[in-house]
Amino acid sequence: MALIITIPGLVRLALVRDPDELLRVNDAGTVVRPLSGRGGLFNRSVAEKLAVFRAADGDIWPAFRDRHDPLRAAHQTSLESALSNIGPLLERIAPEITELGNYVRGGRTPRSMGVVVQQAVGRLFLPDYVASEESYAAARTLQAWLSAWPLRAAWLRRSGALKAALDHIEVASQGDMACAHATALAMHNIVKSIELMRELALHGDNLAKIEPKDAMLRTLRAPARVVREARDGDFVGLVRLRSRTLILLAVETARQQRASDPGLAFFAGAWNQCPAHGLVPALLGKVWEAARTRVIAGS
Amino acid sequence: MSRENDGFVYHRGLLQAVLDVVYRVVNFFVRWDHLPTLLGAANLSVFRERLREHNLHHTGYGTTSPGWSPGNERWRSADGSFNSLDHPRMGMAGARFGRNFPLPECVPDSMDDLLEPSPRVISKVLLARDTFIPATSLNLLAAAWIQFETHNWFSHGIPKEGNEFKIPLEPDDHWPENVRGCMQIRRTVSDETPREPWLGATPTFRNLNSHWWDAGQIYGSNRDRQLEIRSKVDGKIKVGDDGMLPADPAHPGADLTGFNDNWWVGLSLLHNLFAREHNVICDGLKTRYPAWNDEELFQRARLINAALIAKIHTIEWTPGILGHPALDFSMHANWSGIPYRVLKTVLGENSEAAYGIIHTPTDQHSAPYALTEEFTAVYRLHPLVPDDMHVRRIDAAGADCCKLVDMQGSASRKFMETHGFVNLLYSFGTAHPGAIRLHNYPNFLRQFKKDDQPLLDMAAIDIMRDRERGVPRYNRFRELVGKKRVKTFEEITSIPDAAKKMRAIYKGDVDRVDLMVGLLAEDLPDGFGFSDTAFRIFILMASRRLKSDRFFTDDYRAEVYTEFGLDWIQNNGMKSVLLRHVPQLGQALEGVNNAFAPWNVLRAEPWPSS
Ligand code: HEM
Ligand code: HEM
Ligand code: HEM
Repeated sequence: MALIITIPGLVRLALVRDPDELLRVNDAGTVVRPLSGRGGLFNRSVAEKLAVFRAADGDIWPAFRDRHDPLRAAHQTSLESALSNIGPLLERIAPEITELGNYVRGGRTPRSMGVVVQQAVGRLFLPDYVASEESYAAARTLQAWLSAWPLRAAWLRRSGALKAALDHIEVASQGDMACAHATALAMHNIVKSIELMRELALHGDNLAKIEPKDAMLRTLRAPARVVREARDGDFVGLVRLRSRTLILLAVETARQQRASDPGLAFFAGAWNQCPAHGLVPALLGKVWEAARTRVIAGS
Repeated sequence: MSRENDGFVYHRGLLQAVLDVVYRVVNFFVRWDHLPTLLGAANLSVFRERLREHNLHHTGYGTTSPGWSPGNERWRSADGSFNSLDHPRMGMAGARFGRNFPLPECVPDSMDDLLEPSPRVISKVLLARDTFIPATSLNLLAAAWIQFETHNWFSHGIPKEGNEFKIPLEPDDHWPENVRGCMQIRRTVSDETPREPWLGATPTFRNLNSHWWDAGQIYGSNRDRQLEIRSKVDGKIKVGDDGMLPADPAHPGADLTGFNDNWWVGLSLLHNLFAREHNVICDGLKTRYPAWNDEELFQRARLINAALIAKIHTIEWTPGILGHPALDFSMHANWSGIPYRVLKTVLGENSEAAYGIIHTPTDQHSAPYALTEEFTAVYRLHPLVPDDMHVRRIDAAGADCCKLVDMQGSASRKFMETHGFVNLLYSFGTAHPGAIRLHNYPNFLRQFKKDDQPLLDMAAIDIMRDRERGVPRYNRFRELVGKKRVKTFEEITSIPDAAKKMRAIYKGDVDRVDLMVGLLAEDLPDGFGFSDTAFRIFILMASRRLKSDRFFTDDYRAEVYTEFGLDWIQNNGMKSVLLRHVPQLGQALEGVNNAFAPWNVLRAEPWPSS
């Protein structure tokens, strides 16, 4: 059952954690991605946070676009088909995969692991994408912005750090909003997975024992939560959503209840399915393999 | 957001900020319509400022830049371009409708929800007229007038065949054009121009007419049409030997005029009246400016005639239909300012409140000027149209009972010839329109044959159009214009049984109530002819039609209009126009303060026992 919190004037919120319920709410007609900011101060502050993810010409980042937005659907389909070309794409980022494999194995890397992930993700879009400590810092600033408390958020906005981070990401993405999304927001999930892989690998003889597919399943992480709004009131299954309820879909919590199904982390099969739902698991598997290869070669 | 609004940003003054807070407190205790007149009027201006700040949203222009033609700086171009010299596309014919709500709020439901509940069932159970409910404070010219005006402002064009909505029919529904168990409704003409990426899921549509209050219904919305209706002598509009507008060869039964879709006798009366007014204004100008050529005379007369029509709408029609003292006051203030000299001085000469919008600086507030889908939606006032009316003669007692369906479309001109301009004006002045309520939708429009379109249930179409165009349903619409959402059907309406029927149709979900149903069901403020919810859109947009338009603001001056023109507008109104062209109406109009209120019936006639 969803957890519902209502404090008049402050917050109107529903937290959804059960996998089936999550998918049902995600699919309901009254539940939309754009946030109006109505429903309380908290609702408004979340809406203001997401509102910054727009290009200078007003173009909206893909993960914040409306379900019925024809451009969203078109981009989703074309990106999905571009990313389904898994073999050649992983070939393209083989150097980064090797570097990540080295990291998982416990090796030292000359730069932050996040930079490597960002570059790998960026090169899925632009073959000559170059990530740097600065561009990774920009991605972390944006990640921090999303979960920042009001004082920190005000500081990020006031100090110009937020704007600078957005500009940096958008310039590096050469105007491709999906690339911006991937190199600023989506990449953090991969970073988390790689960290987990390293922990896993360094524990006993896991690296040799665990097959890539299992390693992937054990380390894949979904976004902690994604947000929606119930525009009008409605019942979704047993949950009664009042109008202007901010909905938090706790994707990661739901995924843990279905750990054998990597699809849930990506909303696979839903209208908002992640176009990288096939590529990311393959990528993680390859990283594990890369980590192993050297081990076997060296032993 | 400013990029999307083409750089227009709203600036709120200190005074407005203070008044805003004060009225938030006041309105917590008292609704605006229960305040004393002046406080109520000031309350409306506070609402309007809030709406100007939050309720104007650009959707892109959807047109290419028009070419300049000589005269555009001095008078209205045929297609409305260059009203704003810096933003020439703004408001021109073919430009997109804007929105009154943030774009993500204006997204149609997905296909299954879109047809739910059935618009046909709504048409039958909630809208169909059982017995005619008259609006007794108005005459039928008021109904024709507002259609006349909407034809000035907007048209979505005529729907084309293909990809129709298919509304399943109930087994006991004997709809004559049952196609495999469904009623078909054509879609609104779609907008094929390139979409800006920030439009998101919001559908866009283009306005066939110019958005400006430029009397385009009379003068057309492009140069070709304008030339077609002109006599090309002394600036005048073409009329026949009988003084009436000629027939439109392309549109059987309709008069040759700027825009003559959905034609009926009511429109013909007003088009004829204001074509005559145009021609008289030309005469007046020619005596004062004998050197002016046809073009100059025509264009200046158009400016003057259009402004006179806007004035009549603002200070006669509106207070007629919304008979609230605060509104009567505000609408006069909108046009000519408040009548208190001291306050005028305090507020200063650029203040709308003090001097009226007319002649203050042009201002677009937070978005480029465009009429909106929501504006179209609140003007769906078809219940104004009766099914039958009594046609009287000015010089004899008695009346014929005629059907509206026999005085529209291809039958219109014949009907006018048979009964005559004078008798019909008199008949319209002495008949009532329908009240804008549930259960009062004209039945002939619920089974209506128009040209080569499939049979139309206009009530179902009205419902379907708002859904199709992504206009929010009633409860969210309320919220978005700054009213509270309702929680129960009883909070919307006290019309007997209506709440119960609505609950059944909408399966208990008050958020699903269609906008038009809610507007027609809503309990009204005292004296109001339509709902307070619709009225919010109207306070915003009515002022905007004036305030955004260069020719009502910066260029409302003698160099553009001539001294003669400004005096003409100042000194005339609906009644003087009627009496100038049809002096026979003198007695019928005697003692009538508002030409849209019922006129005197001259002979108490024994009613035909029909
Ligand atoms: C571990 C890695 C990833 C996970 C768990 C993940 C998960 C998700 C989820 C849950 C959504 C839906 C968000 C919502 O509906 O609000 C989403 C959307 C999206 N993801 Fe990913 N993602 C990952 C990596 C990536 C990568 C690498 C890319 C690009 C190469 C990418 C591109 C996108 C895009 C473009 C969307 C928006 C789809 C739309 O609605 O149009 N994601 N992702
Ligand atoms: C004999 C009288 C009338 C007839 C035959 C008539 C007929 C029609 C028709 C056929 C449509 C187009 C429906 C569609 O979207 O497919 C329409 C639309 C409309 N009518 Fe009427 N109508 C009449 C009177 C009125 C009156 C008195 C008003 C009052 C304001 C009015 C306001 C409107 C509006 C606002 C629309 C929507 C226009 C748009 O979508 O651009 N009509 N009418
Ligand atoms: C006798 C008292 C007053 C009356 C009858 C009055 C009436 C009005 C009316 C009718 C409007 C225009 C509403 C509309 O067009 O819809 C208006 C607007 C306004 N009034 Fe007043 N008012 C009064 C006092 C004041 C005072 C004392 C102030 C401030 C010093 C004030 C400030 C304004 C402002 C700022 C507007 C909005 C102007 C705009 O639209 O830009 N009013 N008032």
